[in-house]
Amino acid sequence: MSLHWLKVAAVGSVAAIALASAAYAQTVRVTVAEYSSKTGPYFEKAATAFEAANPGTDIQIEVVPWDVLQQKLTTDISGGANADLAIIGTRWLIDYVSQGVAAPLDGYITDEFKGRFIDTFLSPSVMDGKTYGLPIAASARAMYYNKSLFEQAGVAEPPATWEDLKGAAAKIKAIGGDVYAYGMQGKEIETDVYFYYAFWSYGGNLIDADGTSGLDTDAAYQAAELYKSLIDEGLTEPGVTSLNREDVQNLFKQGRVGMMITAPFLSSQIKDEAPDLQYGVTAIPAGPDGARGTYGVTDSIIMFENSQNKDTAWKFLDYIFTTPLRAEFTGGEGFLPVNKEVAASPAFADNADLKAFAALLPDARFAPVIPGWEEIAAVTSNALQKIYLGEGEIKATLDAAAAEIDGIIAANK
Amino acid sequence: MALSRKARRSIVSWLLLSPLIVAVLFPFAVMFITAIKLATEVLKPTWWPSAPQWQNFVSMWEATRFGAALWNSIYVAVLSTVLSLLVSIPAAYALSRFRFTGRGFVQQFLLVSQMLSPIVLVIGLFRLLVALKMLDNLNAVVFVYATFNIAFSVWMLQSYFSTIPKDLEEAAWMEGATPWQALRRVFLPLALPAMVVTAIFSFINAWNEFVIALTMLRNQAGYTLPIQVFSLVAGRYTVEWHHVMAAAFVATIPVAIVFAWLQRYLVRGLALGAVK
Amino acid sequence: MNRSILTNPHVLIAPAFLLAAFIILWPLFQIGEISLNSVNRFGQLKGFSGLENFAAVLSDPQFLNASWRTVVWTVGIVLGTILVSIPVAMILNEDFHGRGLARIVIMLPWAVSLTMTAIVWRWALSGESGMLNSALRGLGLIDENIQWLAQAGTAFPVQIAIGILVSIPFTTTIFLGGLSSIPDDLYEAARLEGASDWQIFVSITLPLLRPFINIAVVMNTINVFNSFPIIWATTQGGPANSTDILVTYLYKLGFSFGKLGEASALSLMMFALLLVFTILYVRLAMRGER
Repeated sequence: MSLHWLKVAAVGSVAAIALASAAYAQTVRVTVAEYSSKTGPYFEKAATAFEAANPGTDIQIEVVPWDVLQQKLTTDISGGANADLAIIGTRWLIDYVSQGVAAPLDGYITDEFKGRFIDTFLSPSVMDGKTYGLPIAASARAMYYNKSLFEQAGVAEPPATWEDLKGAAAKIKAIGGDVYAYGMQGKEIETDVYFYYAFWSYGGNLIDADGTSGLDTDAAYQAAELYKSLIDEGLTEPGVTSLNREDVQNLFKQGRVGMMITAPFLSSQIKDEAPDLQYGVTAIPAGPDGARGTYGVTDSIIMFENSQNKDTAWKFLDYIFTTPLRAEFTGGEGFLPVNKEVAASPAFADNADLKAFAALLPDARFAPVIPGWEEIAAVTSNALQKIYLGEGEIKATLDAAAAEIDGIIAANK
Repeated sequence: MALSRKARRSIVSWLLLSPLIVAVLFPFAVMFITAIKLATEVLKPTWWPSAPQWQNFVSMWEATRFGAALWNSIYVAVLSTVLSLLVSIPAAYALSRFRFTGRGFVQQFLLVSQMLSPIVLVIGLFRLLVALKMLDNLNAVVFVYATFNIAFSVWMLQSYFSTIPKDLEEAAWMEGATPWQALRRVFLPLALPAMVVTAIFSFINAWNEFVIALTMLRNQAGYTLPIQVFSLVAGRYTVEWHHVMAAAFVATIPVAIVFAWLQRYLVRGLALGAVK
Repeated sequence: MNRSILTNPHVLIAPAFLLAAFIILWPLFQIGEISLNSVNRFGQLKGFSGLENFAAVLSDPQFLNASWRTVVWTVGIVLGTILVSIPVAMILNEDFHGRGLARIVIMLPWAVSLTMTAIVWRWALSGESGMLNSALRGLGLIDENIQWLAQAGTAFPVQIAIGILVSIPFTTTIFLGGLSSIPDDLYEAARLEGASDWQIFVSITLPLLRPFINIAVVMNTINVFNSFPIIWATTQGGPANSTDILVTYLYKLGFSFGKLGEASALSLMMFALLLVFTILYVRLAMRGER
């Protein structure tokens, strides 16, 4: 009896799915990364508007938490059940391109369309001369500092170099209480990036000219020594390896951290959650030779090669990359504009915080375009955590990490 | 006198249990207190909010689409429990009542299948559902949950069924009852406590399951509670902790009620089933 | 017709067996296939590769570390759970005021998804804004915030403690069932002969509880060995992989690094490990039983 029921249920649901796909010949599924509670509603709204303007289309939005996006995409693709469009981290794109999963968009892109974008943000999605993704979200990093704490500590100017930062940090530490000078991230996503800010300032490169890891260079040793000394001298919060980016941001919002480096979205959070906080945004400190670097990140929306409805999918892309929709998304989530018109509009052009970020863009570096970058980032983060915890000697630990990374690079060639 | 001895025993018992009870209640206290904090106060680790925000529960219900997720969880948990009982009861009955070829094989197969946890199988399971075109389908999740509960359910029921003397059924047959009637009037009432326990176990497993639901359900409208709560914290740029905690707290209430209600059965059902 | 169904064991077994075989064996076969192939990060097979995936896992130093930690993790939680659950079940088996309430409270962790529990603990354990530190400070037990999750030395024991806490309800329930099936006259007889409480415990309670303890060991071992949320939500196996167990290592391998072939091979090895343990345990521990 129950077996029969099983069969009926199985047959029934297969039939239902077949029916559904027959009724909506133009179904486009979109996998969307959830940046905040606003992401889902934004895309649902866009989908509804698009469907109304294009009868016979059905846009299905699948919102996925960012932490499991990679896992979901992997299982989806491995089962041949991926959507038509998906947001991915642009640093993953090379894997999608080299495995023939992402479709080139050049056939659809007109000069007018291309003209909408700021080049810096479109270029990471271009590989071998073909455009495989469109930057849906863009962000860079800059240093936030707490003006009240600076005043209390008698620091007049935000530090311009790492040397200055250390001096300022010592003064903020002297305030005492549960206030920490430099908020340092030591856990989860972007732990490696938090180190690169200093690493780049000392003239380092993630991948050297010879194609090997740059972690076994003087720049890396010096940057690690700087960070380690900040920790050892109590200029950071305690227990660095237990705080992820959000934890440090939370401390900053509470006014308990003097300085931290993070993305533009912190300022929109502060506006909502800690409107009284007196803070400023400034450039990431420079190294001894004046070099500096910020981390540029884009997430791209890609079209899958196996999509059955590429034309409709493209139409939807075209729609969400129009200026009003871009402005709403970028403003709501606290990203940097990727669209020239949006960037020029008063809401963005007159925003002091965003200006500080935009000024850093010439120094922006993106994650290198090599396969297996996530694993390399993990190796780097692990090495850094060892150093921060004092479980590994700086040079030996970084050299070992560099060797491991070289192995990963070689294996993926 | 007897009463006073019981009273003394009560004090000693509660005293001995108190460290564990504190540890058990601690996370619930954290949930509850964070849930009623003001949004701007959430990050301060104080133990009492300056003004309890009861409306957080209301706003959480909206913000987290709690109602839909609650319904999905109930749907999946109830149906998978029913399905796994429907197939497990006859199997357990057969294993406890008959000697037949392949009996040992079935028992071993069930023990082995108990050891394969969903997380180890997730890639293969996913491909199975894709092949069946049952992805993003709550019913598919029902089937998977039911299946992963079969091993435990059959084993529980079988060991309990074995303690119910066969003579009782045979006596009913002698009196002219058909096997169905004997089963319904004699066997099933005796087996009820074990079935209740098995149902509770299945229900809890389905209610709390995470990995399968995370992988198989794509559309937020189909999310079960654990996924829904997880999606509030997983990688968002800012986490509304008071909503997360309110959701987690409310999500425990249905199961707590089930416990309170069926608690008597829980122990009774396990007692006789002396696990052989 | 009624008679033939009710008396034909194969028909009665069939639904359960077929369902289990279909939903468990088919995926297992798939994983076996992936593990023997070279496979890209999206699970597309790129040709037979023999045992290369297995060799790659075995030669990863991280695998050995995670295996060793899995042993500590599993033994720690299972042993701890049993040691706490026996006395707790004995107390809950006594008749006292509020016993029903006490039973429900002890069962409560079971009512929460492990994922949610782990998220709550992650929040409570935070060094600066965690309520555990503020509670301990309030009670005067510590002067300075402890950074629980900053290093494995504190993080891993805390994770094991959480594991014990969430395993107690199931285990206590099993033991309560066992205790209530011990006839009261056995105890009375022993008391009449002047046996001490400890003697009664050692010579009556423990032996009669033994089958239940064995079950609790096997079931908990299977669950704990495969338990993912506690470690993932609190430390993701960090810092520097120092709290990784096999399951979290598996997840990183498969889904963060896209090495699905190695992940499938590891899945099979984990399954084999558990199988060997269970067979050994069942042989050794249950041998003396009948």
